[in-house]
Amino acid sequence: MPAAIKKAFPHAVMLTYVAVILLPFLFVLFSSFKANNVEIATRPFGLPKTWAFENYKEAWVKAKINVYFWNSLYLSLSSAAVGVLLAAAAAFALVRMKFEAVSRWIYQYVLIGMLIPGNVLFIAQYLLVRNMGILNTHWSLFLPYTAGALPLSVLLIAAFMRSIPGELEEAAIVDGLRAPGLFLRIVLPLTVPALVTVFIINFLGNWNEYLLANFFLSKDSLRTLPTGMVGFRDAFQTNYALVCTGIVYSVVPVLVIYTFLQKK
Amino acid sequence: MKNALRNPYVYLMFVLPAIALYFLFFIYPMLMSVYYGFTDWDGLSKPNFIGLDNFIAAFSDPEFRSSILNNIYILLFSCCVQVPIIVVLSLVIAGVRRLQGFYKTTVFMPSILSTSVIGILWGYIYDPDVGLLNNLLKLFGAGPIYWLAEPQWAMFAILITNAWQWVGFYIVLMLAAILAIPKDIDEAAGIDGATGVQRAWHLTVPLIKPVINVVIMLSIAGALRVVDIVLVMTGGGPAGATEVMASYMVNKAIKYGEYGYGTALSIIIFVIALVLTALYQILIARRQERVEY
Amino acid sequence: MKKTCTFVLAATLALSALLAGCGGGGSDPASTGGTDTGSSPPASSGESGSTDKVEKFTMSLRHIQIGEPQKFRKAILDDVVKKTEEEVPGLKFELDGLEDSVNRFTKLPAEMAAGNPPKIMSLFGGAGDAQKYAKAGRLLDLTPILEELGLKDKFLNVLDPFSVDGKVYGLPIGGNAEGIFYNTDIFQQYGLNPPTTWDDLIKAADTLKENGITPFAVGSKGAWVPNMTINTFIGRLAGPETITGFTTGAAKWNSPDVVAAYTLYKEWVDKGYFTKGELGKEYGDMLNDFVAGKAGMMFDGSWRSSAFKNDAVGAAVAGKVAFVSLPPLPNGKGDQTSVNANYGEGYGFSADLNDNELKAVKAFIKNMYSDEMQLRGLLEDGVLPSMKLSEASVAQVSDPLVKQVLDVLNGAGATFPHFDSVVQSKVYTETETQLQKLIAGNVTPQEAADAIQKVQDAENAAAAAE
Repeated sequence: MPAAIKKAFPHAVMLTYVAVILLPFLFVLFSSFKANNVEIATRPFGLPKTWAFENYKEAWVKAKINVYFWNSLYLSLSSAAVGVLLAAAAAFALVRMKFEAVSRWIYQYVLIGMLIPGNVLFIAQYLLVRNMGILNTHWSLFLPYTAGALPLSVLLIAAFMRSIPGELEEAAIVDGLRAPGLFLRIVLPLTVPALVTVFIINFLGNWNEYLLANFFLSKDSLRTLPTGMVGFRDAFQTNYALVCTGIVYSVVPVLVIYTFLQKK
Repeated sequence: MKNALRNPYVYLMFVLPAIALYFLFFIYPMLMSVYYGFTDWDGLSKPNFIGLDNFIAAFSDPEFRSSILNNIYILLFSCCVQVPIIVVLSLVIAGVRRLQGFYKTTVFMPSILSTSVIGILWGYIYDPDVGLLNNLLKLFGAGPIYWLAEPQWAMFAILITNAWQWVGFYIVLMLAAILAIPKDIDEAAGIDGATGVQRAWHLTVPLIKPVINVVIMLSIAGALRVVDIVLVMTGGGPAGATEVMASYMVNKAIKYGEYGYGTALSIIIFVIALVLTALYQILIARRQERVEY
Repeated sequence: MKKTCTFVLAATLALSALLAGCGGGGSDPASTGGTDTGSSPPASSGESGSTDKVEKFTMSLRHIQIGEPQKFRKAILDDVVKKTEEEVPGLKFELDGLEDSVNRFTKLPAEMAAGNPPKIMSLFGGAGDAQKYAKAGRLLDLTPILEELGLKDKFLNVLDPFSVDGKVYGLPIGGNAEGIFYNTDIFQQYGLNPPTTWDDLIKAADTLKENGITPFAVGSKGAWVPNMTINTFIGRLAGPETITGFTTGAAKWNSPDVVAAYTLYKEWVDKGYFTKGELGKEYGDMLNDFVAGKAGMMFDGSWRSSAFKNDAVGAAVAGKVAFVSLPPLPNGKGDQTSVNANYGEGYGFSADLNDNELKAVKAFIKNMYSDEMQLRGLLEDGVLPSMKLSEASVAQVSDPLVKQVLDVLNGAGATFPHFDSVVQSKVYTETETQLQKLIAGNVTPQEAADAIQKVQDAENAAAAAE
């Protein structure tokens, strides 16, 4: 018997934790179908008495969640992709090309960025973006997002590239491959695991980003999900069911994509 | 033969885009921050050079001092409470065979949501009237607690939300390291008769120390960076109880137009981050294993 | 500075070129849809050959009429927008709705600093808002337009908070008085007299408290909400002229009379007169609690009166709400019928306009500030006109609540403004910080007042030095 308990104990711990993770989702999901605040307050975990599907129609129309969602998605994807490419190219040159002295300097210079907490530069970046005349366009997020990911990306990709044995390249060079070809055909494919990791980290960072998105954009049609949702809450804060519906809208696609990727 | 790797133009082509972008959005703003930090610029009129006034004002500014303290709470909470939880849960997940995938998937879930959505979601959980927590408390005949309205609870509420979001992320990070440990080491220990807990503590933990270090470093950085969750959930309130350095800085600059003072605060945040990172590297990480660049 | 600018520009161009090259996979981060980036559209089309072809242009319009309680005001705005678009060929407004305090305290200040405010924007009068931006040259001088449209003498004497050196930079859409809304049903249920005397008010509060009903709903997450109450307490306890005296030095925040106002508020907090956990409650929650009958009274601006119509958010209490001025305080100074009346909310216009946009602004002003819209504002939204309306028009008011608001104003021996439209923004900020601390119990009334006065002294000294 003790053996069974021993086996069950870790699961008990984990299931409790999983419950803590999932309960808030469940609460919001149920609330989103409820007719009014009173029902949410009195029966937080009860199923809705009548399923108020019209909340979903209303929230969709009022919150433009589809717009926010696509803005977030393509900004996060494009800037994560460009960031990874730029970082990989730089890392390749720093690690593999024969300019060690310069590379060491550049490397240190890029690493300084690791020490700067992102939001420290917020005000100055705001002024920069404004002077560049790209405030209130998606460039004002794309560029800082891409740039912001560089230090960590270069660090991780460079570390990974160092571990790739040099013989492969030497053979490739003997075969007449030049540096760009070497990068694209040999090094990049070998670095894919690191690139994927870095891409995911960057993507999540961009997807979550609130501070810049909140202050660099003010047009509703340009807003990303994080800021769009906060605006939605501010407008309908006392209509709990409606805001919960908004949360469901913003959460479900992400969860679907996530589980889909998990399976692969 | 190695000419291919010695062409300076190709080198530049590879390095320059990243370096230029990095310069434009990191180094240049940093320099501008230093410049504005010594002025009284209000965003509208001409900046005047005022020497160290901003920095002196910052350290005698009770609001800013209390926001530093709040960052320290977050830092201590994430290093002393979150990290042990992360280690234990990672070990637990690594130790089970059934449902391991399920746990991994669910645990990571909060980390893929945007902080602001999490802020809104937890805002409802903490809601004094309809919220989940007070409803639960009511079952036990307790409450209501005004989570986000009472200074003594608000910070705690934010800490919990923040932990809820990030613990899973770190667990997955750590799990990768644990699962990468060669099986034979573990099995050898199993033959020697060590129990699961003993094995975890004496074998696994020392082996994943580098990852634990990384997690602690990331937690420190994260604790200094916290701002979204505060802005979304409390806006720094009630009465400044949850104000963190970054939210205070943003408010000062954007809301009150004190750009000079705000940038001075950002420099102070930078220096604090620098000192903490260096201290951790020198005092703790160095002793165990130098983090190799 | 010029050098850095050119460098930045060059670097940007280089980067965009590079990015365009790298990101070839079809990911174009430039804005989709509206291509107007704020300042680009050229004013006059160079080719004279196609004069009859209408040049299309869009204009940003920032408003704060979002959410259910604002729907009447939004309808008026929508009509003005539609009419203006019809009148100005090629014009398309791009409406951008933001929550009031987000716009006023976060977005607009940032945009003003950046020099790219919306072309038309919701704007508040006063030293921290319209006057500050006007002095910085961000706002359009409306004086010639008012002259041209013949509106100059149509406004009541309400343009001062929007004026600098005799020039007008913004136009209030209407006015409000602040006082007590109370739920007549609840008052009847507990046999309470209307809160028209201090004793009745206190008795009502105590009775409600005993019966588990919050006496006053309040949402103090945004400190401007409890500041309304403080504002009137100060006006009544220290005299109506106090508010305008802070900047001149004639009045002091830490004078015993003003401290008494803070003390009174704190007393009410301690007695449980206000919503529990008020620091976590939004302004919207306050209305919610009141409508739900969880609270018997609330101290709010008369703009809230339209929320209690049959087709509005507060329909549940429609016809069961009354509005009175704060009753005379037993130890008050000055006129005890005085009310906080203000004409703060209005519209301002960017100084950076081309000819077409200027035309649109003129049309917008003509349509928004007309007798028709003023009357609609009064009848539909319960907002007092900022322009002179005929007696006959005003007599059309049938909403009893709006009538009560008018009564309160007519019965007021004196009025005083919001201090947020008088004192410097740093001082106002400090009043918000200190009031929340006072509510949280972190400071005493005296400490709060001292702290505010300290900032006031510094700001007054700075103003004198200029």
